[in-house]
Amino acid sequence: MVKKGLVFNIQRFTIHDGPGLRTELFFKGCPLRCKWCGNPESLKANIQLGVYKNKCISKNKCGACLEVCPQKDALQFHRGKLVSFNYDLCTNCNACVDACPAEAIKQWGKEMSIEECMEVIRKDKGYYERSGGGVSVSGGEALLHSDFIRELFKVCKEEGIHTCFESAFHGNWSEIEKVLPYTDLFISDIKHMDPEIHKENTGVSNAKILENLISFSKTDKELIIRIPVIPNVNDSQENMEATADFILNQLDGKVRTLQLLSFMRLGEEKYQSLGMEYNMSDVKVRRVSFQKKIAKFAEYFNSRGIHCLVGTKEKQ
Amino acid sequence: MSQKHTNASGTLPFDHSYGIGYTINHEDWSPFPRVNRLRQAFLDRPYEIDVERLRLVTEAYQEHESKPQKLKVAHAFENILKKATLYVYEDDLICGEIAAPAKASPIYPEFSANWIIDEILNSPFEERENDQFYIRNDEERAEIVELCRYWQGKSIEDHVNVRLEYDQIKGSQMGEKIFQTNLYHYAGAGHLVADYPMLMELGFDGLLEKAKTALASLSKRDADYGDKKEFFEAMIIMHEAAKAYLERYSVLAATNAETETDEVRKAELLQISANCHNVAGPAPKTFWEAMQLFNVATALIQTESNGHSISFGRMDQWLYPYYKADIEAGRITKEKVLEIIEVQYVKMNNATKLKDKGTVAVRNGRGFGGESLTLGGVDENGDDITNDLTMIMLEASAHTRMMNPWVCVRMHKDTPIELKIKAAECIRCGYGHPKLFNDTPTIKGMISKGMTLEEARCYAVVGCVEPSLPGKEYGWHDAAYVNTPKMMEMVFNGGRILDGPNKGKQLGPDTGSLETYTSFEEVLASVDAQFEFWTSQMISSLNIIDNMHRKLKPLPYVSAFFGNCFETGKDVTEGGAKYNGTGPQASGMATCADSLATIKQLVFDEHKYTGAELLKAISDNWVGHDRLYALVNSSKVHHFGNDDDYADDLFKFMFECYCKNVKGMPTPRGGEFSPGVYSVNANVAMGLNTNASLDGRKKYEPISDNMGPVHTECCSHDICGPTAVANSVAKVDHSLASNGTLLNLRFPEETVNGIEGRDNLIHFIDEYMAKNAMHVQFNIMSTATMKAAQKNPENYKDMLVRVAGYSAYFVELGKPLQKDLIQRTELKF
Repeated sequence: MVKKGLVFNIQRFTIHDGPGLRTELFFKGCPLRCKWCGNPESLKANIQLGVYKNKCISKNKCGACLEVCPQKDALQFHRGKLVSFNYDLCTNCNACVDACPAEAIKQWGKEMSIEECMEVIRKDKGYYERSGGGVSVSGGEALLHSDFIRELFKVCKEEGIHTCFESAFHGNWSEIEKVLPYTDLFISDIKHMDPEIHKENTGVSNAKILENLISFSKTDKELIIRIPVIPNVNDSQENMEATADFILNQLDGKVRTLQLLSFMRLGEEKYQSLGMEYNMSDVKVRRVSFQKKIAKFAEYFNSRGIHCLVGTKEKQ
Repeated sequence: MSQKHTNASGTLPFDHSYGIGYTINHEDWSPFPRVNRLRQAFLDRPYEIDVERLRLVTEAYQEHESKPQKLKVAHAFENILKKATLYVYEDDLICGEIAAPAKASPIYPEFSANWIIDEILNSPFEERENDQFYIRNDEERAEIVELCRYWQGKSIEDHVNVRLEYDQIKGSQMGEKIFQTNLYHYAGAGHLVADYPMLMELGFDGLLEKAKTALASLSKRDADYGDKKEFFEAMIIMHEAAKAYLERYSVLAATNAETETDEVRKAELLQISANCHNVAGPAPKTFWEAMQLFNVATALIQTESNGHSISFGRMDQWLYPYYKADIEAGRITKEKVLEIIEVQYVKMNNATKLKDKGTVAVRNGRGFGGESLTLGGVDENGDDITNDLTMIMLEASAHTRMMNPWVCVRMHKDTPIELKIKAAECIRCGYGHPKLFNDTPTIKGMISKGMTLEEARCYAVVGCVEPSLPGKEYGWHDAAYVNTPKMMEMVFNGGRILDGPNKGKQLGPDTGSLETYTSFEEVLASVDAQFEFWTSQMISSLNIIDNMHRKLKPLPYVSAFFGNCFETGKDVTEGGAKYNGTGPQASGMATCADSLATIKQLVFDEHKYTGAELLKAISDNWVGHDRLYALVNSSKVHHFGNDDDYADDLFKFMFECYCKNVKGMPTPRGGEFSPGVYSVNANVAMGLNTNASLDGRKKYEPISDNMGPVHTECCSHDICGPTAVANSVAKVDHSLASNGTLLNLRFPEETVNGIEGRDNLIHFIDEYMAKNAMHVQFNIMSTATMKAAQKNPENYKDMLVRVAGYSAYFVELGKPLQKDLIQRTELKF
């Protein structure tokens, strides 16, 4: 049994991943590298520090980080403000995180026990019960934490809390099997039907994902599938048709809802704070026509008998 | 969870959607073209000052100079009703204004006149930054000044001023503004609900009969014989005048009908004329007549006194018998009922009140204000009472989308799902109505005021926030605004303020300072001691003001709508009603709670800073204390509103400390003080008068609003979303604040989109209520929408925003308040 899980965010009162009002836990670490990823802090499976340079009130006025840092040169300043870390020098003591009064240094990832997670989860139990909501886990890739989540969901089920597992399904089927008994609803993605294009844009082939989806369709669990519609990556009619064929032929149509999520530029600030490059900065979207295009895709899926909606909803 | 159902229905399905958020340039919300025209005519009409009431009341006072006060006010009322110019407006279905044209404010010099002279001469109403009023011409301007001079030395204000002592003055709006008693110091108290069921049953004739019987049965052995006799005589004069006023309208409508060429309108005018005549004495027999009587009887309460928040009570209940009878007899259709209600809703906006600039600074808005209309809830046996009118009145609200009436829906565990959905649909369309009250804590609070359970269940809301008992309670709700962060400043600094003209002076008692406290318990004891001192100043000031209302401005007309006044022979100002409390409200609780959290955590728990260092930081308005300023505004210090017991317990302490120091103190009318915890929008003006505070607030920034968390220029202190805010707010016993509490939440439009968005909103509300919080209201409006309105105000003329307690036209609000509304945390699901 794994005693701790590496959580980088707990969001109370989310409505996007699963029905009703929910608390969502985001776990750190992901085998995929999707170019459009909005959560760059989720990718690495270790604790990371980020810098929000706009929040730094300058070393002259403060200097709290310098007072505690055992490797002063790990802190890099520009015009008196902390702008980045030299991660090679950093000893990962995280003392600066606690010291910074302005929250300019953000620690992404915190080891949390089941009980610590449950303490937050329980606070909004009344809201879940009224709304048919509950707990969702996401990532990164939550499958990397399947042992921990299995235990967490077990406690949730004992306490009557609905559970939802959001995953890219890129992992061994045995990992999915671990959480299967304690999970009420799964959410997964089909990012592209072509393995090569999939690999080009996410770093991995879609073979495992599709295989897991097929295995999943043989279980009695509920599934929501999402397509993040990304301009010039997967927004072709051809790809949508292939997806529909797959759902109908390979999954026997067993999808509760297919959700089309429109590309949004998300997380640029977080990329910056981690000293990472944002791949999508050149992508320009003409919002109105893009939305129309996506609505057309939804129409297409519905015409094929697949319940499909734009956005994270399940009802029109 | 199982939901209760109802068959009650309006003209549309209960789940009809009215759209999400504000829509620009939408002028036809109502299915009735008449209503859309009336609405537009209202918006296009200017806010004026009307001289007639001032002229007529002065004339009567001069004529009856030596008469007993009650007869003097009665003759003044009679004179106004006899001579005021009357108007029947195009398209209208109901007539009767407050003895002034629509949207023109009469003047009520009985309460105060000095400021009118002062502002006309020195800071004209026309030139205000917001809440402008227009005097029609220079002759009237001169006449107003001249007539007001007669009242100098005679008004309630003048009589109060000479009775206040230094300790009271220094704390009030005339001094440091620690508490502000403006409202009733300068104007009438209002804040009541008449006994409409009694009025409807008896009509003016029945009430006159009651008064005459009571007068005839007075005993000369009664020590108060003379006072009581004058009271009933005055009441009789006034209610006879009301009948004659209705007859004047009847004649005017008939006269207008004579020259009307449109046959349809002609018939309407004749019907209006007949309605006025039919209720000019007798009780109403039809729905339309009941509405006509309601309108005039209520407008006359606002003619007698300019006390605002003259509320309509449980209108879906007391109107229902007329609705039911007409529908069953086939005399009326649901659609016609809806149209009459919508016409009346638009009309409810006509009453306008000129306020002094000090009051306007505390509460923007030119309407009389506070005309609450309560729907739903339980009957005296505790059973749900939703009916067709409940639904129709919500439809009318979504169809008119105006400031008035301030619709309130009472919620309880058996509120039918259809009503919840209807209310949510109204809330979602973003004009700020209805507000939602929770029966459980509210009824508990009513019982704490001495009412029986059966009585308590019949509460209605008056004004912004205050639960009141129709026809039985004259509660002086909204009596004063208390700036608790200002009291906290005395706690920080030994009873002295940090900065300003009185810097260094010993204003409050020296109960220690941040330099001297050796334990956190000492800090809390100091809070309690300062609160006791300042609330005592406030309570005694309010009681002096109360006594001057009794002495100078009895209210025999409205007293007839309080059955107990007939029993006691006393005017409401003398304690004639059954319940006679006074309700002053505290503001800035979260500012104080977060300040206490800073002290507790940094000084006494973590020993990171000394009290002296904290005191220095706020004395310097945080300049040069950037590190501490950043820390105090960060999530590293506990903050109220995050479902974190550390800070939430301190909020609870503040809340209970204020309530304890106010609750139960005697009023001159034989009632008890009843605390409220809300600021409406006064938190902005109060902030402008408050030095820096330890929650990380800089000098002049708004203090926290209502029951809400702190948001400073640096950041919002609530960062865990709406459930955390709701949970924090629900940790206090709301029933202790028997004069009401308020939580204002703002969601952007997309959060409540779709069926799921609507249902999530309902489930959120249900759970908030299940935690026994008293009251919540919503702004469905994104920051982007408000910024757009600031940029192009001309396109957003009719965009209502929930200020707190009430809705107002966003573009008419002062800039500081606009900014505060934008800064309030935008919550996302």
